[in-house]
Amino acid sequence: MSIETIESDEVERGKAVGSSMQRREDRPLITGEGQFTDDLKYPREVQLVILRSRFGHATITDIDTSEAEAMDGVLAVYTEEDILASGLDNTIPGDGGQDHTAPVDRHLLASQKVRYQGDPIAAVVAKDRYTGHDAVDAIDVSYERLDMVTDIQDALQKDAPVIHEEAPDNVAFEWSSGNADETLASFDDAEEVVEVDLSINKVVAVPMEPRAAVAQYRPAAEELIVDLGCQSVLGVQDHLSGVLGVPEQRITVRAPEVGGGFGVKAQPYTGHILAAWCAMQLERPVKWQATRSEAFVSTNHSRRHDLTARAAIEDGRIVGLHVDSTADVGGYLTSGGAGVPSGAFGTRLLGQYDIPNAFVEVTGVFTNTTTLSAYRGAGRPEAAYVIERLANACARELGEDPLEFRRRNFIEPDQFPYETPFGSGYDSGDYEKTLDKALEYVDYEAFRERQAEAREEGRYLGIGFSNYIEICGGGAGGLQGGQLRIHPSGKVVARSSLVENGQGHATGFSQIVADELGVDIDDVDIVAGDSDRVPEGGGTGGSKAITMGGNALKEGAKKLRERARAIAAHELEAATEDIVFDDGEFHVAGAPSRSMTIEDVASVAYSGNLPEDIRGLEETTFFSPEGSTAPFGTHVVIVEIDPESGELEIDRYVAIDDVGTQINPKLIEGQIVGGVVQSIGQAIYEDAIYDDNGNLLSGTLQDYAVPRAKHVPEIEWDSTVTPSPNNPLGAKGVGEAGTIATMPAIVNATIDALEPLGVDHIDMPLTQERIWRTVQEAQEE
Amino acid sequence: MELSGTFELENVTVEEVWLALSDPVLLAQAAPGCEFAEEVDDPDDVDFDALRAAAADREDPPTLPEADPEEVAERAIEEGDHYAAVLGVKIGSVNPTFEAVGTITKREFPEMHASGEGASSDSSFEVSSGMKLTETDNGVQVDWWAESDVFGRVAQMGQRVMNPVANRLVNRFFSQIADRLTDVGEDSPNVRDRIKDLI
Amino acid sequence: MADHDITLTVNGEEYDLAVESRTLLIHALREGLGYTGPNVGCESTLCGACTVHVDGEAIKACTTLAVQADGREITTVEGLGEDGELHPVQESFQEEHGLQCGYCTPGMIMTSVDFLEENPDPNRDEIREALEGNICRCTGYQNIVNAVESAAEKLEEAE
Ligand code: FES
Ligand code: FES
Repeated sequence: MSIETIESDEVERGKAVGSSMQRREDRPLITGEGQFTDDLKYPREVQLVILRSRFGHATITDIDTSEAEAMDGVLAVYTEEDILASGLDNTIPGDGGQDHTAPVDRHLLASQKVRYQGDPIAAVVAKDRYTGHDAVDAIDVSYERLDMVTDIQDALQKDAPVIHEEAPDNVAFEWSSGNADETLASFDDAEEVVEVDLSINKVVAVPMEPRAAVAQYRPAAEELIVDLGCQSVLGVQDHLSGVLGVPEQRITVRAPEVGGGFGVKAQPYTGHILAAWCAMQLERPVKWQATRSEAFVSTNHSRRHDLTARAAIEDGRIVGLHVDSTADVGGYLTSGGAGVPSGAFGTRLLGQYDIPNAFVEVTGVFTNTTTLSAYRGAGRPEAAYVIERLANACARELGEDPLEFRRRNFIEPDQFPYETPFGSGYDSGDYEKTLDKALEYVDYEAFRERQAEAREEGRYLGIGFSNYIEICGGGAGGLQGGQLRIHPSGKVVARSSLVENGQGHATGFSQIVADELGVDIDDVDIVAGDSDRVPEGGGTGGSKAITMGGNALKEGAKKLRERARAIAAHELEAATEDIVFDDGEFHVAGAPSRSMTIEDVASVAYSGNLPEDIRGLEETTFFSPEGSTAPFGTHVVIVEIDPESGELEIDRYVAIDDVGTQINPKLIEGQIVGGVVQSIGQAIYEDAIYDDNGNLLSGTLQDYAVPRAKHVPEIEWDSTVTPSPNNPLGAKGVGEAGTIATMPAIVNATIDALEPLGVDHIDMPLTQERIWRTVQEAQEE
Repeated sequence: MELSGTFELENVTVEEVWLALSDPVLLAQAAPGCEFAEEVDDPDDVDFDALRAAAADREDPPTLPEADPEEVAERAIEEGDHYAAVLGVKIGSVNPTFEAVGTITKREFPEMHASGEGASSDSSFEVSSGMKLTETDNGVQVDWWAESDVFGRVAQMGQRVMNPVANRLVNRFFSQIADRLTDVGEDSPNVRDRIKDLI
Repeated sequence: MADHDITLTVNGEEYDLAVESRTLLIHALREGLGYTGPNVGCESTLCGACTVHVDGEAIKACTTLAVQADGREITTVEGLGEDGELHPVQESFQEEHGLQCGYCTPGMIMTSVDFLEENPDPNRDEIREALEGNICRCTGYQNIVNAVESAAEKLEEAE
């Protein structure tokens, strides 16, 4: 049953946390008043349009911009030459050149060689976007086509075309983690070894707002102001400063409404950097708005791995896990291009299981395709997919029920905090609990009976489980600022660097702050998304808004409350220890009539008559958690498949998630359901496919099948609560959980349905055609 | 992308089809979306603007069946010839105009091969193709094939869009040829003989 | 490029403006007149972010030419609701948490309003079917379907 919301004025003082309060973000968005980047309009604004390579791999012999430059309404046409002439080195920060990565640069604009369809080559600035696009069409680029390679396996062949001279074998990085010797030895002695080969499809995040930016430069003040849909205003400020050489404090970065981020708006791209650079060249506002087809070829893709996963089994328990993977990084090593498919993936492979020995190796490979990096879950959906597919394969091999196998291998509640052989820690968990709860929704025995009966009638039902963990929410040593101010009126303003992309941060933050200060929720305003107005801290990503941002504000509010208590003590002429805070009121212990509300305190807080150490109600706190958080859960999927046609229907989808303390259950449900549906996309529909000529064949919303309303089932959501010991709220990250859990549950259910037809493996996406073909092949064998 | 097919032309002779398919004027007229096609010396150095202007001022000479077969034979394409053409095609939601150059790579009765490449503002293609004529009971069978590589925006639309478009264009082309040749066969028996002699 | 003088009535206000033949209605509304509620998500009729009403009917403004809308009545999301009150569909989107980033929302709302006029008492499958032309990447649709369902009830009560 869907959770009912309440309006903010129905929220009781002190009881905001845990209530499903309606979002304060909504009003501007449902009335059209909210402004996304392209909605902003500045006087004298001009449009930037980028020319991108049509080829996947080619050398550029000439770029003739003369016709474009001569067009009416064209202010400038820029190529690499102009960028170099302005003193920039034409590179953007990425993951190249680290200890374990190839020393490969990413350029702002290509001049010699292009390495994927969509590689930026030239920039036009024109008075309007129609003219800009016309001018881009008029640029004449002479290419010499090179052989190209778009698949990771082909790229590793001996005679494969070389994409970067600095990486002659096309290897972008080599990375491993875990206890190699013990793990490999465990396979030698194992009773049973189970192996799966998996190929994970490449997907595109597709936030509904394509990337965009509008930049202004004030030459006299030497100030750069950039508005853009992004995930981290301070992060963008940083890299703009690095690339453009403008001092950080002279750069203002603001995120207006952001139409979805999902990880792909977390990092530097040519578009917004060029907008800023052009604004500096032309000294007028420059806007760049990607089109959808541009977004498809130039916004990071994600998740492509080919791998072998093996489990060594003794007494029905996994004693060794070895994963050997090849991952696609695309044409360049973008920011996170190496990090996501290595550490973010590899160290999460244990899932919920107590496995003493584990070893993972990943080889990153360049291909002539769009760069790959983080997309909601960033490595963890892939990891969960691997271990949960493997768990099912193990159970199948041992001839036992997948749940029995899982239960035997779970990490037990008393083993927390748990440390994996990869060195990552799980804070808390109770894996049986979410599984048991899921089984309250789905009567497993009854389903198995129904499944058997259906098979008699020639109908194929299947059930699939995914028992996932993720590690998220920041980690030990991480830092997040939170800034609070109680105005003399008693109204509160809280500031955070976390950028809203649709999660409802402001709603959640205000709930936390209001409770801590005992004020009305509507008296708390949240400021975010403006580098000039927020304290230092991270951006949105890695499910850390509440665990980091929320806790920073909670800690800050607590300090303010203590200060307010001291002021109340001063005013009430009592000792601070004797002041009790209750329901938003300070009173002297034992004398409830001698009291002040927090608003009363605020009204006297800004006075020079107070002792210096208790003046003013402003506070900036830098929070650092004890460690990361490990949310977990059980997702159960029941599918029915028609082997004749290959059609798959999801009959039920039950999601039980444990994200620790819940600030706003409605928003959590929304995050989970949204994430689940995104991964239903990857599991069943979505695939970024290239042809041999390096063309992205699924480069439109027609061919790249983002799920539509009628493609997805109703999601039944419930939760358990196992607080995290690593932060004061006890919260765990939630933004990515849904995306992480879904894929293995669906694929396991599909294999379960088709098992009687001899199917024990299938890769994503589970398109009708692929299911049909898989069944045919299994039948032929 | 690889395509091939067969097209049947009724009531015509292999020689007639051969001659018709050798006539650059008729080929340009039959090719869907072809603005003009013009022989050029150097395929790497083509001034399309000049050609376009010249083509606009000129009227096409008559083609079969009206044309004098000797005249057609005179202007017939030859192995090693290069042609430049401008082609406008509608593909899905886009309407690219390609500036293309082609070369006749083989021309031996009854088989002809050609290769070419073209570019629009955001897409390009490379193609090699060929056709072979065989006599059948009631006409001529044309077996054709083409191998093409498409790049850029147009290619992004995928085979779902591209294959039917390519097939539609080829079919339209041959239907055009068929229409003209029916007239040759039916109305002008003496033309038929003259053509036979020419080849 | 030929210029055309056209008249658009947007949310009850009449505007005369000059547009090129190729100017899309979405750009005329957003850039020409400042109605930035409708968004652009695909430029190709595939996502619905740009949905507005022309003479009461939901259409995709990204593939409608401005000249085609000459003389017509257009409603954007800014024009919904009366006297500063939200339209019941807008209200339901808020109550049911039918939006996250909000980029698809104006289009979703405009499609839903039109749909509920045609089918005031839809079931969930019909709602999902009706939203076929509108993509949301955030919500997973469930709360959008809830919102449309609850708006239908509200509208019926108001009758
Ligand atoms: S922008 Fe009009 S349908 Fe996508
Ligand atoms: S709310 Fe973000 S696309 Fe629908």
